[in-house]
Amino acid sequence: MTTFFHMTSRLTGVLLLSFVSLLFMKINGNAQESDIFPYQINQVTLENGLKIVSIPFPSPGIIAYYTVVRTGSRNEIEPGLSGFAHFFEHMMFRGTEKYSEEKFHQVLKEMGADNNAFTGNDVTGYHTLASSASLETIMDMESDRFMNLKYSVEDFKTEAGSILGEYNKNYSSPFMIMEEKLCDAAFEKHTYKHTTMGFIKDIMDMPNRYEYSLRFFDRWYRPENCVVVVVGDFDQTKLIELAKKYYLDWKAGNYALQVPEEPPQKEEKVVNMTWESKTLPMVAIGYHGAAFSATEIDMPTLDVISQLVFSETSPLYNKLVVDKQWVELLQGGEEDSRDPALFTIWARIKDIKNMDPVKNEIYSALEEIKNNPVSQEKLLMIKSFLKYSFAMSLDNADAVASTISHYAQLTGDPESVNKVYALYDKVTPDDIMSVAKKYFIKENRTVVNLVEEGSK
Amino acid sequence: MKTLKALLTIIFFSEIIMTNINCAKGPEVEVTELYQPGSPLIAFRVELKAGSVNDPSGKEGLDALTALTIGEGGTKELTYQQVLDKLYPWAASITPQADKEVTMFIGEVHIDHLEEYYKIFTDLLFNPRFDEADFTRNKDLLVSQLENTLRGTDDENLGKETLNVFMYENHPYSATEVGTVQGLKSITLDDVKNYYKQVYTRDNIKIGIAGGYPKSFIDRIKKDFDKLPSGILNEVKLPEPAQINNLEIMFVEKPARGTAISMGFPLSITRKDKDFYALMLVNSYLGEHRTFNGVLMNRLRGDRGLNYGDYSYIEHWVQEGGSTFQLPNTPRHQQYFSIWIRPVEPEKAHFAIRNALYELNRLVEKGLTEEQFESTRKYLINYSKLWVQTSSRRLGYQMDSEFYGTEFFIDKIEKELDVLKLADVNNVIKKYLNAANLKIAVICSDAMSLQEAMFNNAPSPIKYSSPVSQNILDEDKIIEIFPLQINKEKSRIVPVKELFEK
Repeated sequence: MTTFFHMTSRLTGVLLLSFVSLLFMKINGNAQESDIFPYQINQVTLENGLKIVSIPFPSPGIIAYYTVVRTGSRNEIEPGLSGFAHFFEHMMFRGTEKYSEEKFHQVLKEMGADNNAFTGNDVTGYHTLASSASLETIMDMESDRFMNLKYSVEDFKTEAGSILGEYNKNYSSPFMIMEEKLCDAAFEKHTYKHTTMGFIKDIMDMPNRYEYSLRFFDRWYRPENCVVVVVGDFDQTKLIELAKKYYLDWKAGNYALQVPEEPPQKEEKVVNMTWESKTLPMVAIGYHGAAFSATEIDMPTLDVISQLVFSETSPLYNKLVVDKQWVELLQGGEEDSRDPALFTIWARIKDIKNMDPVKNEIYSALEEIKNNPVSQEKLLMIKSFLKYSFAMSLDNADAVASTISHYAQLTGDPESVNKVYALYDKVTPDDIMSVAKKYFIKENRTVVNLVEEGSK
Repeated sequence: MKTLKALLTIIFFSEIIMTNINCAKGPEVEVTELYQPGSPLIAFRVELKAGSVNDPSGKEGLDALTALTIGEGGTKELTYQQVLDKLYPWAASITPQADKEVTMFIGEVHIDHLEEYYKIFTDLLFNPRFDEADFTRNKDLLVSQLENTLRGTDDENLGKETLNVFMYENHPYSATEVGTVQGLKSITLDDVKNYYKQVYTRDNIKIGIAGGYPKSFIDRIKKDFDKLPSGILNEVKLPEPAQINNLEIMFVEKPARGTAISMGFPLSITRKDKDFYALMLVNSYLGEHRTFNGVLMNRLRGDRGLNYGDYSYIEHWVQEGGSTFQLPNTPRHQQYFSIWIRPVEPEKAHFAIRNALYELNRLVEKGLTEEQFESTRKYLINYSKLWVQTSSRRLGYQMDSEFYGTEFFIDKIEKELDVLKLADVNNVIKKYLNAANLKIAVICSDAMSLQEAMFNNAPSPIKYSSPVSQNILDEDKIIEIFPLQINKEKSRIVPVKELFEK
């Protein structure tokens, strides 16, 4: 196997050039003048449905290699099996006949690669940052485990222990447990009812679900449900040759997912919690929001509202954090998601007596934008922020791959990034008022209050 | 892609030692340049050569609070809110970061806004507003980080910070990086103003800049910073940390679903020492951060499913954001070895501690084989190249290299590892590592029971939810009675509310 051991001195000198990404300038190829994303996006779909997205990027000698499975906790439709997408992410490191778990890690080690994985509501992603010379080996190993994963019942059960450990690690923070309660209360039918970690009772039962894990793999780890994203220094022709060599034997699947539709919420829900350890009082307020869309204005408008009402330059932040100093932390927004998720507002409040006044200030700020159009000047500032923060984030191959993978998993089309940023530009003061009136209503919200045990 | 702003990141600091000023005029202000023509991103890293070690006794947290009041405050011309309003449309940032020996102001801006941004950045440093309301807000924030966040909602960092204060008792490193609760509460705005006057001098500041800035910018930076008053801080003497005899354990009692564990001991070497690089290789083999390469990860998590992860370190190590890489600009003249065992189920805590020490002991006794040595060397040389993917990070690493007085760290790693031999590596294992004398921080809900079991060296068999291989079961029989020599006089149970208090 070739590694970049011999290339290292060259790398040290030239990595600097990778930052010369000429933000806001178009770098050849098919990037359009109006696009926010400055690099050429190549897309090739293999006969089995696997999409290969590749982006040349000035990171000499380095590539970022992502495989995104368009499956996350949203796909966990059967009762008692929440958390399985995440669990399966762990199992993907347990080896195949060709690359045992030990050999898999040994090869990554020889490459000097950075390798990891993540799971969310809608996606499971596997990523490697390594030398360009490692490309073929990465494709060999990745295609192999996506087609030929093999693990014993014992390995499966042992891995369940590390999931419980991850749960325990996360749940020393009230944010996690509040989010769990918020989702559970806000959703009745949709699978966003559970977090990506899953319900603890289901995690405890995971060791008994070996058979289901085989079905899960068979159902979702299929080429038409995955996108490979390669960013950095590579040869496009060679990449596609290798993709055909290593991925064409992968058989397409045919499972059709039916995620239960969430009925409209009819009344406000409130959950009160206590925390055994020290904490400031906290509140999480979730409104059912909009699904990610590169064509409809609701979601981009909600993102603009997130900035307008909850960013550090908002009147609400100024009032609660800077002026009155009632609140230590304030933020609000909705994560991009395939189905409508929650627009969640978080506040950590210094004094328990201000919990209701803080919530009332938040509600008033949301009422304010329903009836008073935002100034063009403020709207331009927000659009400028969105544009610059996006552009400045694309400063290395891994960040670019991560960004493109995000949009590819949401819609299947990485060009969604340009489309959605074009939509941000179109958001008007009227859109803000109408979207605020549509979503920020009392009947559509769920509130989780958390206070320290014994506090008054 | 949008993400919610990361929930408050803790930056940490520590205590003691009076700050004395030498008013002799020093040489020109230092600038570290990383010029990248054509790059539209300009990164700034301004380093103050002072940290929590410069905090006066009783005012622990003064350095951190001063940095925060400046970096999260206003200028003479602009209120804090006006500063935020200015930076916002550019998506530009200015972030204070504090540690034991240096304090940073880190920023990034697109070249479109360099002029206006630089004016605000330098005004914050040269003409801070020191508004009473900004001071109060930031002080509340730091106190709350200790009283609430650390004590109540973040057991993993609680474990790490407990180990730090436990390892460095009666030492300038002995408080957290944001001080102590009582120290912070005693600080007034006048204290902050005085500290600023004494410490924020042209002699104590170093500027780092990276990106495609106009070349003439460097002269301007030098001229501007040269206008700061002179004043050299007297060096804070760092005594040898107290010797550790056997295992000294601090059990921190608090409600906890899992048991978080950190253990370690001070080291006498840093990046400036040749042996550091040999030990770096050993550490990578034992527990490279967030990878499956390490022995600890494979034995504790991989084989036994005890928890989510197990790693080791040979210097103070903070992860940068969601990456797997180290946060730059927390350099220290004294470093430490540590093992981080992420939360385990309480009934498996005793076994997990034994398992980690068993592996450490095996490493000390047996060293590395030629094959283990070669594969780890190759890995580290390649992997370290990934640590400096952005100009800001590279600049940070360069400034850290200057702190230690070495060539660029990433180049140094390759150079030192290239000439290493297996014997060198196995020598440093014997010289610097041991599994007998460590301090251990244990965050748990039933400290008394665990202490009793550990004091009595009671067997700690574990039950698996599924069959594991006979090899593992055989090894477990050894691990579950692996003797731990505990220094009972130096071990204690501490209620969490007493930690970081003063």
